[in-house]
Amino acid sequence: MNNRKLSFWLFLTPVLLGLGLVVVLPFVYGLIFSFTDWNGITANNFLGFENYINLFKDAEFRAAMGFTVLFSVVAIILLNFLGLALALLVTRKLKSSNFLRTVFFMPNLIGGLILGFIWQFIFISVFDDIGQALGIEALSGWLSTTNTGFWGLIILTCWQMAGYIMIIYIAYLQNIPNELIEAAEIDGASSWQRFRHITFPLVAPAFTISMFLTLSNSFKIYDQNLSLTGGGPYNSTQMVAMEIVKTAFSENEMAFAQAKGVIFFLIVSIIAITQVYYNKKREVDM
Amino acid sequence: MKGQKYFAKVASALAVTSILLAGCGSSEEEGGTNATSEDELTVDIFQFKVEFKDQFESLVELYEEENPGVNINVKTVGGGNDYAATLKTSFSSGDEPDIFNVGGPSEVEDYRDSLADLSDTKAAEAALEGTLSGVTDGDEILGLPFNQEGYGLIYNKRIFEEAGINPDEILTHEDLVNAVETLDSQKEDLGIEAVFALGAKETWILGNHLANAFLAPEFNQDLMEAYKSDTVTFEKGDEMKRFLDLQNEYSVQPTVSLDYSQQVEELFSLENVAMIQQGNWIYNTVHEMDPELAENNIGILPIPVEGFEGKIPVGVPNNWVVNNNSSDEVIQASKDFLDWMYTSDTGKEFVLNEFKFIPAYEGFDTTKIADPLSQEIYEYASEGNTLGWVFMGTPLAWNEEKLAVRMQKYLSGDLAWEELETQAITEWENSRQ
Repeated sequence: MNNRKLSFWLFLTPVLLGLGLVVVLPFVYGLIFSFTDWNGITANNFLGFENYINLFKDAEFRAAMGFTVLFSVVAIILLNFLGLALALLVTRKLKSSNFLRTVFFMPNLIGGLILGFIWQFIFISVFDDIGQALGIEALSGWLSTTNTGFWGLIILTCWQMAGYIMIIYIAYLQNIPNELIEAAEIDGASSWQRFRHITFPLVAPAFTISMFLTLSNSFKIYDQNLSLTGGGPYNSTQMVAMEIVKTAFSENEMAFAQAKGVIFFLIVSIIAITQVYYNKKREVDM
Repeated sequence: MKGQKYFAKVASALAVTSILLAGCGSSEEEGGTNATSEDELTVDIFQFKVEFKDQFESLVELYEEENPGVNINVKTVGGGNDYAATLKTSFSSGDEPDIFNVGGPSEVEDYRDSLADLSDTKAAEAALEGTLSGVTDGDEILGLPFNQEGYGLIYNKRIFEEAGINPDEILTHEDLVNAVETLDSQKEDLGIEAVFALGAKETWILGNHLANAFLAPEFNQDLMEAYKSDTVTFEKGDEMKRFLDLQNEYSVQPTVSLDYSQQVEELFSLENVAMIQQGNWIYNTVHEMDPELAENNIGILPIPVEGFEGKIPVGVPNNWVVNNNSSDEVIQASKDFLDWMYTSDTGKEFVLNEFKFIPAYEGFDTTKIADPLSQEIYEYASEGNTLGWVFMGTPLAWNEEKLAVRMQKYLSGDLAWEELETQAITEWENSRQ
């Protein structure tokens, strides 16, 4: 028994050490620095909550927060809708379903930065060419206004993440016992009724996972944002993560950026915890 | 039997842990390179200019051959922001380089305690007038300029000729407007998409360069005056607006999503536009796209600023500094290396031909400056026809994050110019409180 305990801890040490050194320790340090005037080199004064008070007065931070929230709401709805739709499509015993699964999942394998640049080319050049050929003016000048920047980001995120969410839904869809569906069919349930009253409640756990994933992902987006719009035009499509990086590394206000980071962390964790709590309640146990 | 199993478990767990620790340990070894071994001095250089990394390393090799007692390690981390952040990290972790780079006065202030006095070096003596102003503190000279750079309106000579415009006659804003209108009226015949390509997505094009030409007179062309100023008045704000409007109106649209690579590569190098507001650093890119164009067909026009016509903004983009915390021998070796680079014959030849720099020092054979843009800028500089680079003395990130972002907003039609000036002035004053 003793041996077991010892080796248990020995095997755990590397992970604990790693986690402690690269996550916990910097987090604590950061928390402390956020109360000072740290500039990245030295911290001279303890400021108390001054950074936190200034942060709520910072118009740019609030704008970035607003944009991120709006983006997340739209992205979560669309992503889950698309993910479930794709999952339903590829679980329908089509001949090409394996091939389709691969295709839908593929965008997820490309890094965010590269994706951003690819889509930037599509939005700016390809859209423009198509628009000119077909005479659709709305396709020109993408990414040069706040609106097109916003939808550009949404399209990019959906394209990248939908395949991943699809995989999660597939796993749950395949776990639904066939008997239930057959029984319902015999009872005369229409396909919509079958989906609404059997499939949907049974994939609710997948919904929890996907919501959590999409929420935290779209809140924390940085690389796609950076490479697609770079926050432009005039920082109006800048998300919180990017705003924090800018405050820290271009404006050199390290401690202030750290305070923003702490607030960002609190917001994301509160949303995520509440959401998981509520969704858990709704799940059906089999 | 039991004992053996136990032993195996402990051993494997220890092995995993040691791998992890080994990863952490290597940096400590690197940190120790400052220490001098028996007869070899080691100098660590941490520099930001990715473009000349290979050439710089071969120069270092030459130096090491000539000076067997010195070993130089070069570490390059690219791009403005990454460099500053990495440098900070290396200072806070105690792994300090012996030679590194600083941009302007604000960085000098940040690292003031770690900067060695370089006024006794030969290179500092040879530095051209005005190139040291950003790094001088009282009697001490804390940095040595990399090179000089200049910018203006880079134009396509062939297109100008075909349109019948003599670039030498363009001095004032009115001249420029006339030329632009002529070009615009013949767009089709000349085969161009538009006259300008304004890369308004890049905040540095607007906030650093465009704005600087019209802000410099207000601070007497002096970087340090801007650095010490509590406010900015936009004395020449109307001219700034006028020049921005001109570029925007006759540019390929939409400008706010047009970036540097579209501007220089797609539009200018492929001869789809006649002019762009850029500097001599684009030469290599243009050369890669179209050597013929780069070598024979591009020239530079000054940005028309009233009262300062025919002058080009020229400045020092970056400086070498030596770490004061290194041992005396290493500081001396660092100074020797920098001296050698800018004052020895081998070094000078390398700086001109391999780095393709516009030298910021005396004693160079300037007829050998590699490309026509640099040559032209050097001529302006040696005749004293220059405007200062004051954007390095503005509050940190003010030009890009505050001013340029508002210029983008102005270009998008969401902000009035007067409003832009008021807001930018407030931002400046707030950060200088």
